[in-house]
Order: sequence, then C-alpha cells, then structure tokens
Amino acid sequence: MNKINSKLFDAIIVAAVLSAAFMINMFIKQTFDTDSLIPMIFVLGIFLISLKTNGYLIGIISSVISTFAVNYAFTYPYFAFDLISPECVFSFIVMMTIAIITSALTTKIKKQQKAYAESEKEKMRANLLRGISHDLRTPLTSICGSTSAIIENYDILSKEQQIKLLSEIREDSKWLNRMVENLLSVTRIDSEKVCVIKTPIVLEELIDAVILKFHKHCPEQNVNVIIPDDFINIPMDALLIEQVIINMLENAVFHAKGMTELSLKVKTKNNIAVFEVSDNGCGIPKERLENLFGGYLERTDVPADSSRNNMGIGLSVCASIIKAHGGTISAENLKSGGAVFRFTLEMEE
Amino acid sequence: MGNNKYKLLVIEDESNILSFVRTILEANNYQVIVAKNCAEGKLMYSSHIPDLVILDLGLPDMDGLEFITYAREFSTVPIIVLSARTQESDKVSALDLGANDYITKPFGTEELLARVRATLRNNRYSAESGALAGGKYVLHDLVIDYDKRMVMIANNNVKLTQTEYNIVAYLSAHAGKVLTYASIIRTIWGSSDSGSIKKLQVNMANIRKKLGSKPGENKYIINELGVGYRMCDENE
Repeated sequence: MNKINSKLFDAIIVAAVLSAAFMINMFIKQTFDTDSLIPMIFVLGIFLISLKTNGYLIGIISSVISTFAVNYAFTYPYFAFDLISPECVFSFIVMMTIAIITSALTTKIKKQQKAYAESEKEKMRANLLRGISHDLRTPLTSICGSTSAIIENYDILSKEQQIKLLSEIREDSKWLNRMVENLLSVTRIDSEKVCVIKTPIVLEELIDAVILKFHKHCPEQNVNVIIPDDFINIPMDALLIEQVIINMLENAVFHAKGMTELSLKVKTKNNIAVFEVSDNGCGIPKERLENLFGGYLERTDVPADSSRNNMGIGLSVCASIIKAHGGTISAENLKSGGAVFRFTLEMEE
Repeated sequence: MGNNKYKLLVIEDESNILSFVRTILEANNYQVIVAKNCAEGKLMYSSHIPDLVILDLGLPDMDGLEFITYAREFSTVPIIVLSARTQESDKVSALDLGANDYITKPFGTEELLARVRATLRNNRYSAESGALAGGKYVLHDLVIDYDKRMVMIANNNVKLTQTEYNIVAYLSAHAGKVLTYASIIRTIWGSSDSGSIKKLQVNMANIRKKLGSKPGENKYIINELGVGYRMCDENE
C-alpha cells in the first residue's frame, strides 16, 4: 500500500513539475521571444524532481521527457522531433548528469539523517537506562539494608522499630512497582511504528477505574472529578491511558507543595476529549517547564545522590503514550497558582 | 481427622511468591497444598480434591490455561488466576475457560484474602441454591428482589428496563466474580454482533446513573476495564 502510494506521489510530482516548466517556457517564449532560458527552466525542474523523489530512476525518466519536450516544442523545427541533432544529444547528457548527481546527493543526505536519528535513539536509550539504574538503586539499597537489619537484630529491635522498617520496605517496593509499570508501558509502545491497539472505552468507566486505583496508592487525597454527563466512547489502550492519568495525579501529590485541591476534568470539543489534571500547589519551576516531558531522557548528568525523581520518567512516559495515541500533551502554570496538565484524545465518531 | 479447614491448592513456580501466599493463607486458617508446575498441579488436584485453586498463568511446563481446561472437564472447583499486568487477553480467556476470578500481580494480603473468601462463599451459594432461584440479594442499601423482579435502594424502587434488570440480576447472581463482556452478552441477548459491547456499555451507563453511582464511588458494580464487570460481594 505504502509503496503504491509513494509511486503515485512520484508520478504526480513529475507530471506537475514538468508541465509547470513547460507552461513557463511557453509563456517566456511568447513574451520575451527568446529560446535561451528554456533549457534552464527544464534543468531547474529536473533538479527539483530529483530532490523530492527517491532513487535515480525518476530523475533519469524526467530528463528524457524534458529532452523530448525541448526538442519538440522549443527548438527548430518547432512542434516536430529532430532527435539526431548534436544539440539535442548534448542537452540530454547535461540534464541526465544533473539528475544523477542530485539524486546521489539526496540519497546520501537521507542516509545520513537516518544514521543520525538512529544514534539519537541510542543515546536516549542509554540515558534512560542510566537514569533508571540510578532511580532503582536507592529503594533497593534501602530494602536490602532494612531487611538485613531486621534479620540480624531480630531480638534487639523493638516491635515498633521493626514495623517501621517493614513499612518502609513496603513503601519502597510499591514505588519500585510503579516504576516498573511505567517501564512496561514504554515497551508496550513499539517505537518504530508508534501505534497502540485501541479498543473503545467508556469515559465514565475509565475515570472510575483510575480514581479507584489512585485511592489505593494515595488513600488520603481527595480528587474533584468533573466529567460530561453524556455517553462518551474513546478508543484507547485503557491500561496506558489509566497510567497517564494516575502519573499526573501522583505527580501533583508528590510535587505540588501546599496543594489543597486536586481536580480531574474532562471536556469535549467537537471530536476531541480534553483531559485536565489541575492542582493549586506551588506550580512548576520555570526552568523545568520547557523540557518537562522529555527531560528525563535528555538528562545526561544524573547526580549520584539523586532523590526519587519519578516525575521525570513518569512524564516522559505520559508523553510517549499520548503521542502513540495521536493526541497532544502540555503543561502550564495557572495564574491563580498551581499547575495544570492537559492531554487530548480523539473520540469515537 | 477433625480438620474442617478449607483446602487450597496453590500452583505457582516462583518460590518467593509461593512462600508469602502460603504464609498469608495458613495464617488465616486455610490448609495449603502447593505445586510448582502444571503437571504437578494436576496430580495434586486429583489426589487432594481441594476446595479452591489459586493458579499462576505463567508456569514453566505448560500454559496455566491448560490446567483450567483440564479441571473444568470434570469439576466446578473455583479457580482464581494470578496474572501479570500486561496480559488482559489472558485474563479474558482464563475467565471464558471457566476461571472464577483473577488477581493482578502485585497484590496485597487483603486483596488476596477477600477474593478467596468471596470465591469460596460464592461457590457454596451456587452449589446449595443454584443461580437465580428466587429470594433476595442485599448489598449495602441495595436490595434485589428476584421474585418481584425489583431493585431497591434505601427502600426506593429503582425503575430499570427489562434488559437493565436482567443484567443487574445476572451480575448479582455471580456477585464477587468478574463476568466478561462476552458472557454477559451471551446471557442477556443470546447472540452477539459487532455492536454488542457498545449496547452493553450503554446499558451499564444507564444502570450506573439509575443506581446513583459516580466515578470513584461505585458502591455496587466494579468496572474491570477491557474485561467485564463485577458486582461487589455482600461482605466486601
């Protein structure tokens, strides 16, 4: 399908550029009454075609067509072919050379771009891996240490001390689990094709499941939910979108200092559902706002004692999930204080 | 023997998970027998005839689904499936093959015990009285009167359509158990087509509205996204 499409695209380009060149030449010939510009216009056309199409073939075909066109319409005898004249052969050679050289250059540039993108991806992966290893080490160290402390000092530690250590272990492992869920989400999205398997999900059911899950992690935090009354069906990978909203809600809990109100709103506009998570906390620092969603992946210098920066990976994951769904994601500070995270999804027709 | 504890068979290959599941269950007065793979599970099953099976889907020798097929050939023993987060399709096929419920890893103590209790109780009910044999179903302030085909909340009659009532009655008859979209559609409409799931979802949306449920405060029916619905159990 794609191949047929690209062939059709090539044919349209050739037809459009060459007929435009032909028309311009007719116009020039009539107004200025000169032949000297004609090959130049065709050469320009071939240059453009070779630039925009893949491989050598299309450029060569266009130069053949151009040669015929020049020969037929713009050289003596007019509107008749005179293919054996040396002028014709020479102009054909020049045009073909230009086509081949341009095609060669374009192909080379495309290859370089691909290699560059590939190395960028590698770099991103390496950064992700480095960041994750750092982030995983802290809770693992504490789990390991706490359990050893309990096992080795079982008789010395008071019951309260033991329970304190154990609940810290539980906290840490819950945190690790959230982290791993985020990583799993990333692997569910095939970065090459950037597509997800979507099934129609009822908005109300999604929000219900999200709130239920969120309350399991943060039982004390109230969420103010406002969604439309209508029956709304949105095609999505429910687990991934659930993850996005929960990440956003948890971000507010962990990072919005001084927050007293947390809300989750969904609005519909034409065929688009807009999800909004807003808080009235301290807002997002200006220097982070710029690079909020890609920050984790581009951060090269993770400080050795970096505290839990779940925000980084969480938001990067959100961005890639929403991108894979064909939606948009953004964040800003509210004038009234606090921050709002927003993403959009297309609704079912 | 004088031992009237419930006998639970746990089939799980990860010894750490097995160890903590076993500890929790034994501490709560269940008798636990364990198997580390599917073949051993089948053997343990036929020699011990447990009251409930907890089954991990990712087993080394065979797919856990095979155990469900095997057990369902001759028995209605309740089966709870343990599944990792990424396997929704496995959850659905496990339920459709006859598993009673699933728990997503990682799970907490309370969740595991609640599901075990609910599943055991459920099975006892249906074994004694059979499904939909009249009588009443009570959940918090919700009462379903099967004889009069009426649903009441805090003594106020809830006006449901025929279809809506049928869905609620079906869910309540299997309270505590996840019912897949496919199984609900089969029971309510008999046949299914491409629009069936949407039809069910619209009906469920109406039911929620009539029962006064709001997102995050669904007291009666739990949404299992992409899988199906579950009526809360009386003691949950």
